[in-house]
Amino acid sequence: MVSRKKKRTTKTAGKKSAKKAKKKQTSKVKLAKVKKTKAPPKRKYVYFFGGGKAEGKGKMNELLGGKGAGLAEMTNAGVPVPPGFTITTEACSLFYKNNLQLPKAIDQEMFQYLAKMERITGAKFGDLKDPLLLSVRSGSKFSMPGMMDTVLNLGLNEETLKGLVGKTKDERFAYDSYRRLIQMFGSVVMGVDKEAFEKIITRRKERERIKLDAALSVEDLRNIIAKFKELIKRKTGEYFPGDPREQLRMARDAVFKSWNNPRAISYRRMHRIPGDLGTAVNIQAMVFGNMGESSATGVGFTRNPSTGAKEFYGEYLTNAQGEDVVSGVRTPKHISELEKEMPKVYRRLKRIAEKLEKHYRDLQDYEFTIQQDKLYMLQTRTGKRTAHAAVRIAVEMAKERLLPRKEAITRVEPEQLNQLLHRMIDPSASVEVVAKGLAASPGAASGMVVSRPMMPFATLKTARPSFWSGRRPIPTISRESTSLRESSPPGGE
Amino acid sequence: MTSHAAVVARGMGKSCVAGCEAIKVFEHQKHFIVKDHVVREGDIVTLNGSTGEVMLGEVPTIEPELTGEFGEFIGWADEFAKLKVRANADMGKDAIVARRFGAEGIGLCRTEHMFFAEERLPIVQKMILAEDEQKRAEALHKLLPLQKKDFIELFEEMRGHPVTIRTIDPPLHEFLPNLEDLMVEIAILRAKKESFEEIEAKGALFNRVKELHEFNPMLGQRGCRVGIMYPEITEMQVRAIFEAACAVAKTGKPVMPEIMIPLVGHVNEFRHQKEIVNRVAEEVMQERKIQVRYLVGTMIEIPRGALTAGEIALEADFFSFGTNDLTQMVFGFSRDDCGKFLNYYLDKGILAKDPYTSIDLPGVGQLMRMAVEKARAVKPNLKIGICGEHAGDPASIYFCHQLGLDYISCSPFRVPIARLAAAQAAVGKSEYTSM
Repeated sequence: MVSRKKKRTTKTAGKKSAKKAKKKQTSKVKLAKVKKTKAPPKRKYVYFFGGGKAEGKGKMNELLGGKGAGLAEMTNAGVPVPPGFTITTEACSLFYKNNLQLPKAIDQEMFQYLAKMERITGAKFGDLKDPLLLSVRSGSKFSMPGMMDTVLNLGLNEETLKGLVGKTKDERFAYDSYRRLIQMFGSVVMGVDKEAFEKIITRRKERERIKLDAALSVEDLRNIIAKFKELIKRKTGEYFPGDPREQLRMARDAVFKSWNNPRAISYRRMHRIPGDLGTAVNIQAMVFGNMGESSATGVGFTRNPSTGAKEFYGEYLTNAQGEDVVSGVRTPKHISELEKEMPKVYRRLKRIAEKLEKHYRDLQDYEFTIQQDKLYMLQTRTGKRTAHAAVRIAVEMAKERLLPRKEAITRVEPEQLNQLLHRMIDPSASVEVVAKGLAASPGAASGMVVSRPMMPFATLKTARPSFWSGRRPIPTISRESTSLRESSPPGGE
Repeated sequence: MTSHAAVVARGMGKSCVAGCEAIKVFEHQKHFIVKDHVVREGDIVTLNGSTGEVMLGEVPTIEPELTGEFGEFIGWADEFAKLKVRANADMGKDAIVARRFGAEGIGLCRTEHMFFAEERLPIVQKMILAEDEQKRAEALHKLLPLQKKDFIELFEEMRGHPVTIRTIDPPLHEFLPNLEDLMVEIAILRAKKESFEEIEAKGALFNRVKELHEFNPMLGQRGCRVGIMYPEITEMQVRAIFEAACAVAKTGKPVMPEIMIPLVGHVNEFRHQKEIVNRVAEEVMQERKIQVRYLVGTMIEIPRGALTAGEIALEADFFSFGTNDLTQMVFGFSRDDCGKFLNYYLDKGILAKDPYTSIDLPGVGQLMRMAVEKARAVKPNLKIGICGEHAGDPASIYFCHQLGLDYISCSPFRVPIARLAAAQAAVGKSEYTSM
């Protein structure tokens, strides 16, 4: 077609204009082509990952958010990741443009992908026998830890709960999962004060004279669940939704909305993150680390983030969920214990950690869950590290030929070196910190307290104990802030 | 942290914790209270300036490890860096730290800092207060060997790396007592009915201080203006530099002195001082019968100096941007007074960044670029550097790399940071490009 047209123009017009026409033609053709590839008839707002393949890539962190891109990248790299999908940050923009509602088409797209998840997992969302449970998490281009919302165990209601009991043969686990769902959903999605839920639990524990949540019986949990539901109705005038699809829609919209909660806004302002980026939403099949002694959950680093030593580094808790590790109620075990408890899983985890580090060519900080002897990776990201570790990791990675030197030298922030250039507190010393001010100039030093500069040291008594303490009435006059200037001990300098 | 205490402490490499609200200080009782502890004058405390933590008693500390992995890492950085990194060092002991941190020379030696030492200040004051040239010459003669000794230490420590020495820069009254203090002292002497001579002497001092008083010292008689008004000060300093250089050269060690004239705004100011430098240098070298290679250059820190950089470059062997003063004069706000509004500006976003921490690219940066272009147009190989706080700031270092400067000179403790930042600029770490 094009060539015929070209011929015709050459015939009818002069040489010069013919050239022009040709140019016009080809550029038009190119434009059309670009349009075809860049803007397909239906824009894609949902990206799937699972079953060893993902539609997204690690580089798509603007569209999929850091977490979504990481999950896609891990899936493609053959790392076991619970299946799921990511609703893009573009959908988030549309959500805001569309009066805090997701366009119908995207909602439908989401349920198509949910069906795909059901095929892969073999479980069904809202099924009475084998219910699929979901997590809904935020994830933007830049990490904003803890600033936006998460809802877990979506898909449970009075009916599916029975299915979960039957499937897991663990009534307490099932009720506790349901309890957690209502608590999270009630506070995050429906806006009921978190404390109100905690109060109900505390009251029950006091009545039963127990200390730990873990000691709550099925009966206790039933009672708490009923109270939670009453609380939600009383505070919001609405019932906790029993329809799993309704739960999913509401949780998804709540995560989109959480992009603009005051915490997130002030965090972005502090870290100079643009407000128009939006967050993606990751919807993923739940895995449980609290399904008995063959289940666990933990976190790890591919190298020691405080010394930089190349060692398998991490900790975990058996029969626990992620929040138990963070809350500090139970003391996590060192990762080396896992080798004794679940040797196979341990070896697998170690291999995966090595793979992740090779793949990303940097220290990785990852989260994992073991559900009844099966290992799942839930997240990986570049690990924060001390200055000391940053230098050691950069040098060793270059020596391992994981990085060229040219890149290794960019892996330490110049400002970070400041921590390495001055005398520091002996790490083996036991210290008691009595106050914390602004770190105004680095380095550690001991010195004598003086009340004015240039005080002759000879006039100070040095034989006294270095300090003494005692309870004294604190006078009412006090300065709002004060600065401590370093002084040298006699004979120093 | 840009409070003066923090800046000074960092410059000196001393640890510092500031704004510690948990500590209640009771100045009159000479103690402070923290938690349940009463800490009195003379008690020992330990500060960790890297974390802001305060501990009671003496906590053991350890030396930083500069060899091993750190040494290897920073060595790799040097393979890529185009900018050389020097240190600002006024005394031998600064130079030792500078070398330990890998400085390739001294980019700024502030000779006046040598004047503030306790045993020297009275001589400096005598020099300033001298009624005639004879008396001034006597005082200067006493200062000469002291300065010479300092320079020998610097040259020896630097082992042939360039040592840039700036001639006297601050206004003279900075060396003299405070006017209000003198007034009080005179009143006390009178009340005590002390001897007439003593009161008279203080009175003379008072008058001279009053004479030297300026309304705008930052724009007053300072920099090369002091050296032009009192050429004998420049002469003494140049003599001390070259006597030191010749002495070190005679022992067979290499020396590379670079004499730097401060605050030049007009090429004639530079010509005037350069003539003195060359004349005295020749004199000394002939006396000592040894030739030493040296350079005479100038600070570019006055807007007019930057604007006429082409003219000045024809005369000068090197330039060094003094971005502290340049920032002060380009913005038109004095560093000593801007504390009253600068924080407000930063809070309200009127200024995005403190221009004393990071070079203001659209303003000060533009002027620097213009100066470099004008100077290199007439002298393509002119050596150009920067000295001052900005030279230790990674974002500013990135800019200096882009400008094609030859070296940066920062405080000794920031040298490794500057080396790494220079390397990262050279490999194109893009973090700062969005500025």
